[in-house]
Amino acid sequence: MASRRRFLSSGIGSLALASMLRDDGLLADDSFQAPHFAPKAKRCIYLFMEGGPSQMDLFDPKPKLNEMDGQAMPESLLEGVKFAFTEKETARLLGSPRTFKKYGQCGMDMSDLLPHLSDHADDIALIRSMYCDQFNHLPGQLLMLTGTPFRGAPTLGSWLNYGLGSSSKDLPGYVAMTTLGRGLPGGAASWSSGFLPSNYSGALFRNEGSPVLNLANPDKISPEMQRRTIEAVNDLNRQRFSETANPEIASRIKNYELAYRMQSAAPELIDLSDETEATKEAYGLNREDKTGFQASYARNCLLARRLVERGTRFVTLFLSTWDQHSKLDSELAKNAKISDQPVAALLQDLKDRGLLDETLVVWGGEFGRTPLGENRSGFKTVTGRDHHPYSFSMWMAGGGIKGGQTLGSTDEIGWGVEKDPVHIHDLHATILHLFGFDHEELTYRFQGRDFRLTDVHGKVVKKLLA
Amino acid sequence: MYTETLPLTFSPKMKAGHLIAKAILMIGLITPVIADDHWAYQPIQNPTPPASGSQNPIDAFVLAKLKEANFKPSPEAPPHILLRRAHLDLTGLPPTPEEMTAFQKAWKTDPQSAWADKVDALLGSPHFGEQWAKHWLDIARYAESDGYLGDTLRHWAWIYRDWVINSINSDQPFDQFSIEQLAGDLLPNASQSQKIATGFHRNNLKNTEAGLDKELARTKQVVDRAATTGNAWLGLTMACAECHDHKHDAISHEEFFQFYAFFNNTKDSDISVKLDKEWPITTIEKKKDEKEPSKPTPKAQALSILPEKEWRKTHVHIRGDYTRHGEEVTPGVPAAMHPLTIAEGEPPRLALARWLFADDNPLTPRVTVNQIWQKLFGTGIVATPDDFGTHGARPSHPLLLDWLASSFRDSGWSRKKLIREIVMSDTYRQSSTNTYPDRPNDLLWRQNSVRVNAETVRDIHLVASGLFTPTVGGPSVHPPLPSFVSDVGRSVKWPESKGPNRYRRGMYIFLKRTVLYPMLTAFDAPDTSSSCSRREVTNTPMQALTLLNDPVFFECADALGKELYRKHGDDADAAITDTFQRCLNRDPNPGELATLSSAHYDLLDESKNPELAMIATTRVIMNLNEFITRD
Repeated sequence: MASRRRFLSSGIGSLALASMLRDDGLLADDSFQAPHFAPKAKRCIYLFMEGGPSQMDLFDPKPKLNEMDGQAMPESLLEGVKFAFTEKETARLLGSPRTFKKYGQCGMDMSDLLPHLSDHADDIALIRSMYCDQFNHLPGQLLMLTGTPFRGAPTLGSWLNYGLGSSSKDLPGYVAMTTLGRGLPGGAASWSSGFLPSNYSGALFRNEGSPVLNLANPDKISPEMQRRTIEAVNDLNRQRFSETANPEIASRIKNYELAYRMQSAAPELIDLSDETEATKEAYGLNREDKTGFQASYARNCLLARRLVERGTRFVTLFLSTWDQHSKLDSELAKNAKISDQPVAALLQDLKDRGLLDETLVVWGGEFGRTPLGENRSGFKTVTGRDHHPYSFSMWMAGGGIKGGQTLGSTDEIGWGVEKDPVHIHDLHATILHLFGFDHEELTYRFQGRDFRLTDVHGKVVKKLLA
Repeated sequence: MYTETLPLTFSPKMKAGHLIAKAILMIGLITPVIADDHWAYQPIQNPTPPASGSQNPIDAFVLAKLKEANFKPSPEAPPHILLRRAHLDLTGLPPTPEEMTAFQKAWKTDPQSAWADKVDALLGSPHFGEQWAKHWLDIARYAESDGYLGDTLRHWAWIYRDWVINSINSDQPFDQFSIEQLAGDLLPNASQSQKIATGFHRNNLKNTEAGLDKELARTKQVVDRAATTGNAWLGLTMACAECHDHKHDAISHEEFFQFYAFFNNTKDSDISVKLDKEWPITTIEKKKDEKEPSKPTPKAQALSILPEKEWRKTHVHIRGDYTRHGEEVTPGVPAAMHPLTIAEGEPPRLALARWLFADDNPLTPRVTVNQIWQKLFGTGIVATPDDFGTHGARPSHPLLLDWLASSFRDSGWSRKKLIREIVMSDTYRQSSTNTYPDRPNDLLWRQNSVRVNAETVRDIHLVASGLFTPTVGGPSVHPPLPSFVSDVGRSVKWPESKGPNRYRRGMYIFLKRTVLYPMLTAFDAPDTSSSCSRREVTNTPMQALTLLNDPVFFECADALGKELYRKHGDDADAAITDTFQRCLNRDPNPGELATLSSAHYDLLDESKNPELAMIATTRVIMNLNEFITRD
């Protein structure tokens, strides 16, 4: 193992080449990046809800909190607690106006904001006992996406592509798409390969027109000219290779071929004309709203399915922002409206196509929101909730997840975790497990140390496994 | 496994920020491995070059090793390759056809003096400072924004960047260059320039998000400064060593905090500076709702020392938790290293900077010459320039490394002399042809072919096309960027540069941490989160798409193709030869000419537009691997 690591750390170029050749079936898979055991999940669609969705208004009903609406919080819970904005001395508990019902055979709680998702209660594992130790957005998002609150580490999608390679010959192995309100705090760090080689970085797809940067030919260059150009480039590169034997030239030739294939595969990917009207309607592509977010998110969900269908390993859809410090009721309803229908349609569609078994779907933000109303100075009325890392909800479905269960619980006002706490590191360990990796063994050497997604933490949450 | 589970418990009710502190400051529980007999910590030898048939000491060391292995060195590369190699290595810019003609002519008369003259001219070029500054700026994790939410812009960061360029161009001795960056503010009667130099440690990431634990954020910066110092000058893997991994031979927990203590009483202070030139303010980004930014006063980011009454005591942070103080420590260096004595009244940070250049420090000279060697051969004598510990690579040529280190030190720390010495050697001038593909090149039986770095990929295109704006220094620029890329962060817009500023070198592209310029990222420019002394070199389909379709690169092909068509009309072969000379600094061979003539014919047939066919043919040449390779 040690010598293999040394090989990896000293020969990044050769690693990239090896993985590329392997993808093309030119090199026998020599297993140094293969999973440690048989994976249940082969692809992942990560629905990232940027900003911190309010768990007690969506997934974690708290009758007691509603009862105590307007009262001060028990002193013992506030000790040592810090907030981004809330002034804790005068803060009061804020009940939820939502109505909850139990859904599916499993009887999972969901609020009236999730009329579509509730049809899938028996497919999903709801975790109501997530917690972390970051109460600011970017550190929290980096922790959720990379396993550390600091910039510079690879995102989960990069780790999985590093571990398994892309299974698509003509599309990127890792794609990020956005439906943005206020922008993403981390920008490109949200899909960065960090210290892993940059070919494991996510490719940001744009929301309209050509999906990948530089995918379209320059205006004056016709497809036939492009074809002839690449042919000539590769022909000349081969001549040069025969003189210099520089192995980089061989990779370059291969990459021009891949790029060319990508140029035809990507437009085919975004061309939705082969989708039925029923499918488009199910996702809600035709929905219209002022911002265009409803249609945009629906399209991204549909594209996510098309991507995993074509072998892309990891897709992240960012929806920004769930950061409702004020106007929680209306803003949360707006976000739910944007996402509920397309997400439910995505689950159904994956299921109908037999893809859900091997596709892990993850839904969640970087933390939750306080049971306290936010009374930051300058706010006339209390209409929102502050950041809350001590307990929040997420869910996963497909890809080896045992659906139809609610894992963990919070105390009666929804402050702390009461049962089955799941830290973000545990979530990561579990996800890697679903993909066939022992999270302690998937490592990469950088600046003299072997790094892993879970740092020195993480336990697989067995209850989540099918 | 090098990692093991730490006895940390997490509880949902734990104090916010508390656990983060644990996590981060774990970083602080540094344990670079220092075995007593580890090669890197042994005193530098002053080895005599072996008698192996060469007068040049570098060649003597390399030949001796080759002889041992029964290998022969490669012949000298032809002059056109040598000239391109020297241009790209020393200035990051390719030669023009005119420079090539002049060089070839001088070479015919006297190769040795033609080479020496050319090397001296390139060492004297203002672009030399740019190229070598870029290498240093990677180590300095230089960027122009804070990096976290908001990603606040650092409008005047470039003043430090220009200081680096000027320092390298004037061949400021490396010891002074270093001491000024670490402690310029503490030098007697510190000049404006010496204060600007301390911007080195202002380049770290900075989190200013609301509700942040300020002491934690400050602690994080101090950890980064200590770690970057260790990485840049000592080849120590401080930032990332795990605390419980190397139970023996380690720098103790306490020693890390002694090292940390050197940086614990500094203050970030922006100083008003007088620039020698008034720069236009159009380059300053406007806030979203700001009408016209007021005329700004240049303010360099600098360090200063806290007033004595505010001095912080440094404690060991138990298990890396800054809220749990252990024993109090004072500034000091690890016992395994050469001793540091702090003179009466000498500020500790200045003493540390001077300690790096003490005669008995074997690390700094080795680490520095290795960084420089790496830039001239693609790989260092120690292949892990950021790790001289027991887990790093061992030197391929230990005696050569020591000879270089001692002569660098004895020369008064002149980087130009060192680079000249290396570039003048036969070892450097060997052909890079991979005659024996199965034979690794750690013994240097040939030069390496190296893909040029990201900024140079851009610069080569600009120079070859004739669009290039050679201005050195000044505020950074914003070449066109699609809005879906530039608007992804929560920050202000990307104010597109107009006119000649669109065609500045890659190193002048505004370095905003949340919006890294995609073309640079595609070619492995680092993300500036931490000190980087070795860039990855990947080879990806995204690079192919970038070279083929990036509007900037197409604009280059378009400009050059049009010019060639004006000049050569329908004489495609003449135009192809001309393009080859401008882009690859050589003539095409008959096979290449035939391939390109045939491609040109087809492209003309397809486009029915002779000018466009010429542009498209130029584009073929600009997509060749050789164009972005330094052979």
